[in-house]
Amino acid sequence: MPARASSAGCGCDNRNTPRSETRTVRPPNLEVQDLLVRYSSGFGAVTALEIDHLSVPPGALLAVTGPSGSGKSTLLYAIAGLLRPERGDILWDARNILAETESARDRWRRHSIGIVFQDFHLLPELTPLQNVLLPASFERLTTDRATRARAGSLLERFALPQGRRTTATLSRGEQQRVALARALFYDPPVLLADEPTASLDAAAGLTVTQNLAELSTDEGRSVIVVTHDAALISHCSTRITLEHGRLRLGQCEEVSA
Amino acid sequence: MNPLLVVRATIARHLGTYVLFILLVAVATAIGVAITAQETALRTGSARAADKFDLIIAAPGSQTDVVMAAIYLRPGTVPLLDSAVVAKALAEPHAKISAPLGFGDNIRGAPIVGTVAAFVDHLSGGLEQGRVFAAEGEAVVGAASDLAIGGSFRAEHGMHHDDDADGDHHEHPATLTVVGRMKPTGTPWDNSVIVPIEFVWRVHGLPTGHPEHAREIGPPFDPDRVPGAPAIVIKPDTINAAYGLRNQYRTDASMAFFPAEALIRLYDVLADVRTLMSALAVATQGLVVVAMLAGIMAILTLHRRQFAVLRALGAPRLYIFLCVWMQTAFIAVAGALMGLLLGAAAARVVSHLITRATGIVLTAQIGLDELLLVAGMIIFGLLVATVPAFIAYRRPVMAALTSP
Repeated sequence: MPARASSAGCGCDNRNTPRSETRTVRPPNLEVQDLLVRYSSGFGAVTALEIDHLSVPPGALLAVTGPSGSGKSTLLYAIAGLLRPERGDILWDARNILAETESARDRWRRHSIGIVFQDFHLLPELTPLQNVLLPASFERLTTDRATRARAGSLLERFALPQGRRTTATLSRGEQQRVALARALFYDPPVLLADEPTASLDAAAGLTVTQNLAELSTDEGRSVIVVTHDAALISHCSTRITLEHGRLRLGQCEEVSA
Repeated sequence: MNPLLVVRATIARHLGTYVLFILLVAVATAIGVAITAQETALRTGSARAADKFDLIIAAPGSQTDVVMAAIYLRPGTVPLLDSAVVAKALAEPHAKISAPLGFGDNIRGAPIVGTVAAFVDHLSGGLEQGRVFAAEGEAVVGAASDLAIGGSFRAEHGMHHDDDADGDHHEHPATLTVVGRMKPTGTPWDNSVIVPIEFVWRVHGLPTGHPEHAREIGPPFDPDRVPGAPAIVIKPDTINAAYGLRNQYRTDASMAFFPAEALIRLYDVLADVRTLMSALAVATQGLVVVAMLAGIMAILTLHRRQFAVLRALGAPRLYIFLCVWMQTAFIAVAGALMGLLLGAAAARVVSHLITRATGIVLTAQIGLDELLLVAGMIIFGLLVATVPAFIAYRRPVMAALTSP
């Protein structure tokens, strides 16, 4: 089992080193190189993101912070291969994600990246189990017993009900945990979370924070989380701060204990 | 891939809207189905009613008026055929049956038709009850008549019974006794009272075709004592004879025609009406499609972030296309099928109303035309469904994810 990768390019150590015996996934060395994202507005081209180099070591729990409009979510979606930057590369180990075809990126994202949103974006009319099974429907016509068992075990892991209740009847904290279970359906090595605790109360936020931390520390997943939540940031090993689309200090900062 | 979960969830979320769209499509389809089925039923029913009327001879004038009066027993003014022509036609050697028809009276609103016994048998194919009339004061009623066998009734002047008696309304002194009931014919004759032609001639003060004090009925008629009649129905013994008789009676004093000739002209008018109605139905369907597309686009706008999220989770574009296409297709298919049922029901109701009003039994059925119409609607719906689906397919993910 490889040890936590070095934080080269990040300039900081990671406190949340996973216990090797519980590590279940092999996260990649994720790098952002020479990334430029611009969009046109009525006032001409606006730079949304400009990052010379960012390296996210395998298994890191990385907080992305910064003021509103600083490019945090754009960075997250760029890492997920959801946008075509003006230039730059997203390297997944040695694989440049942005150079791949859209269908290849879709498949890669489905299996390799889990995404959690601030507003959950579940289908409230469906049961939690059906929501968790949703990614399976992207490539399968039917779900077999093993697939349903996999979804069931994820719900069990996050202490979520498996009955016929629709997701709409769950608390917000439970709904976010359903979203977390959905994101983990294909057991991705990287998890991206966009303000996952912003719409939760303190208790629910803490639970989700602990869940995210466990995914990194216990299972060795790389977790990149956009957040303003001080409690969540305090659980992270490293943080980057974006200002006007650029990295402050040009690198990762260690989160002080 | 299987987008049914998303489709199900989206439909459940906007159930009221989807039900409304389905009803709109159903009504638009039903209008088309009902028009087509009704027009077919009207053609079939009216043609069937005219089946037994091989060749009609009448005074020159409107064939349509004669058909409406003689076959469908609709009240109207039909000039009398000259008595010499009537006498000649009644003695026609190439006719299996030569039946004069006389109208103008009623019993409780049921039209009285004077004719000969052979025509009753020809029309009904035998009686259901009793016997055919054998004397001037006897009558045979249609299968749907509420006049009981053995009952005696006074004929009233005029084609329709009228409770608000006016100056023209009066009872004839003669009484009719019902002696038989015809089998159902599915024509207005099912509500009629059929009497010997001599009865009609006599109550109107005309000679009866027999010596003055004779009480005999039916052929042979005395050519010198035959009065005029509104129409004569002839069943020729051969097809050649039919055409020969038609030519023979096309003179200045008479016209002869196959009812089908008049019906074809009527059907032409009916087809024009159908075309107009169908055009209106198509316009309605077009409006429904536009309304449905506008609604679907509004729902798509509401769901654009949901679809972007699905893409972010790894759903291929095709998955999004299928999600939207299936939702719209569901409306089209469910609406068209429901419209087929609604249209069939509407056509049956209208047929029933027409049957009650005219006596012509109309059987509105779903046939190939209606199935093709519905299939066309479904195929069109499936094609139209690709429009919003393609828009959703093309929609950029990032814009939807980051928009407020």
